[in-house]
Order: sequence, then C-alpha cells, then structure tokens
Amino acid sequence: MTIDAVARLDREELRTLLAETIDADVSDVGDDTDFVESLGVDSLMALEVVVVLERKYGIKFAEQEMRTVRTLNSAYDEVLRKLTERP
Amino acid sequence: MIGPAGIRAALPHRYPMLLVDRILSAGADEIRSVKAVTLNEPWYGRLGAEPAEADFAYPDFLLLESWTQTAGLLATRSDEGSAAGRTMLFGSLRDVQFHRQVFPGDVLEHHVRLQRAVNDTLVLEGVSRAGDRPVLTIGSVTVAFRPQEQLDPEHAARNSAPLTGSRPGDTS
Amino acid sequence: MTTAVLARPETVREPAHDPGTGKWSARYSVAIGADEPVFAGHYPDFPILPGVCVLECVRTAAEDSVPPEAAGLRLAAVESGRFLAAVHPGDVLDIELVWEARDAGWRCSAKVATGRGPAASARLHYRREAAA
Repeated sequence: MTIDAVARLDREELRTLLAETIDADVSDVGDDTDFVESLGVDSLMALEVVVVLERKYGIKFAEQEMRTVRTLNSAYDEVLRKLTERP
Repeated sequence: MIGPAGIRAALPHRYPMLLVDRILSAGADEIRSVKAVTLNEPWYGRLGAEPAEADFAYPDFLLLESWTQTAGLLATRSDEGSAAGRTMLFGSLRDVQFHRQVFPGDVLEHHVRLQRAVNDTLVLEGVSRAGDRPVLTIGSVTVAFRPQEQLDPEHAARNSAPLTGSRPGDTS
Repeated sequence: MTTAVLARPETVREPAHDPGTGKWSARYSVAIGADEPVFAGHYPDFPILPGVCVLECVRTAAEDSVPPEAAGLRLAAVESGRFLAAVHPGDVLDIELVWEARDAGWRCSAKVATGRGPAASARLHYRREAAA
C-alpha cells in the first residue's frame, strides 16, 4: 500500500466531505451509519456522493461499484482500494 | 445548429422563462448554446425612473437557469426514447460560482458536459462565458427523469421543480 | 438588484446572534403569488416555481439578514442546493437561515419549506472581493 495513498485519504476529511455532500451534520455520520437507512440518502444523492469522490480523489466508479458506498467505512475502503490500485 | 423552433419543440418553457436562443453544437455528451441579454428583458420592465447601473445586471439565478435549460436540451437528447410522458426534474446543484455580472449587450455562451448518466439520473457540469470571460462555472448539476404524476401538489412523495422534457400539462 | 421573483421576504424572526457559536440565525416567509411573472412561461397551464427562483428567494432573504461583520460581501457561489418538492402559486416559503464565518468569507445555510413540507435546502457562500 503506497504511503501517499493512505496519506491522501484522511478518514475525518472523508467524513466531512460525505456529510457535506448529503447535507448531514458530521456528528451524524458514524463509521457504520448507513447512508440510505439512517440518513435518508436517495438515488440522486448516492450518485452525487460517487461524483464528489471521483472528483476529489481522481478515481472512477463502475456502475455496479456505486452501491458499495453505503457507510463511511465502506466508502473509505473502496476509495483506498482504488487509490492503491492505480499505477 | 438548432434554432428557435427546435428549442421550443424540446423545452416546455415559454416567455418569459425560455432562456436559450440557439444551440451552436450538440453531441452525445456535450452541448453549446447562446443566450443574448438585451435591455428589453422583462425583468428590466420594473426599473424605476433612474435605475442605478447595478440594476441593469442580469439576475444571477437566471444565468444559472439559462445554463440549466441548455443542460436540459442535452439531457432530453440523450434520453430520447423514454422522455415521453416524463418530466426532467432539477434535483440538485453543487459548487456553482458567480464570477462576474452580465449586462444588456452581452451574449452568453453556455457549455454543458454530461459527466455521468446512471439509470434515470444525469450529472452535468460546465461553464457560461460572455465573450471569452467566464461568468458562471457549474461544478455539478443533477437532474432526474420522473413520471409526471409526481408533480401534483397533493403528491407527497419526493418531487422537485421540473426543468424540461415533455410538457407536464400535456394530456396527449 | 433586479430579480426574477417579485415577492419580497417578510421577517418572521429577526436576525439573532448566538455568542456561543458565533452564528447568526433568522427566519423569513415569502408569499409566492399566482401573479409572479415566471409562472406564465414555467409552465403554461402548469405553474411551478423554477428551482432557481427558490434559490433567489433564499438569497434575497439572506441579504436582508447579513451579519454586521459580513457587510459588503458579494455572493460568490452556491456551494450546494437541493430541490425536494415543487413550489406552486399560492405557496408561502418558510426560510430558516444560519450564517457562519467560513473559508475567508461567510456561509449562509438555508432550509426552505412550504405548507406541504420541505421544499429545498441551500448553502450560499459570500466573499469579500468584488466580482472579477
């Protein structure tokens, strides 16, 4: 795992980014809080979260991968995997 | 290039809210349009006897509406088949920046790019310029195609101000 | 400032400062009459207030409640906006505003509702420098 990938992906920064994108308070976005069930994120917002992550971290989500972004933990793992995959 | 007749056929908007004059070019995921700002815009009809210079600035949020209607034209093109009986709803926007104001005599050029299209939802981005100077930059705008009945006032389910697509009022 | 919407905000709760957080909050209502010019073309025989016009109402209300320290700032951006439900002629917009200092300027966060429930939310960003 490249050091800079981990350095670039700061968990708290990701939490704030996700909270702002779905119009929630940072305090409401726990590590395993489900965006859809607990925070009322609908399909429109879910797509926005993906677009914001792609733009911020320079990564690409395939359509079927979009469903994996359901909590802060799953978002963190998915973004980290994509950051470390790149050459 | 698409002229007024083509624009009116594609958009349900009419005076005074039809804010795209001409489509310069349109591809599968990109479109450019033009909107001229004149001293005869309806909004200036309310100015008093001696308006200040600033009062001639075109309303910022109508700049955004003009760009968004251009996005609507791109979206209905890319959703040809299923647009019938459905309306495109303005879902959300993000990082829309106002760089400068626009005055009568300016000609706006809007550029819209389709960033993502996932089932019924499109994410678009772009910029508006007057001459070569940026006026507005749009980080992302999300629009969704929804069945029309979601727009009835009594309908409690999630709906939002429609943007374009086939005329909501049509019974055909 | 020339606007698309004619209606002007009425003050429901005057701007109030919270010394603890440093934030200001205020509440306004905007009565959207059937005579708003935009309705004639948006859309003929199916009047719905354009989303951008809801944002314009938020801006007008925001600029009626600018905190003293934020005086003279310019609307630089809409950080985010979300449209949840349509607004129709005769609706009254209930706008809750919160101002906070942020990123070398001020952010005004707004929640907009009609009698039927939430209609929109938005975050406006105001900055010092003049238009470029």
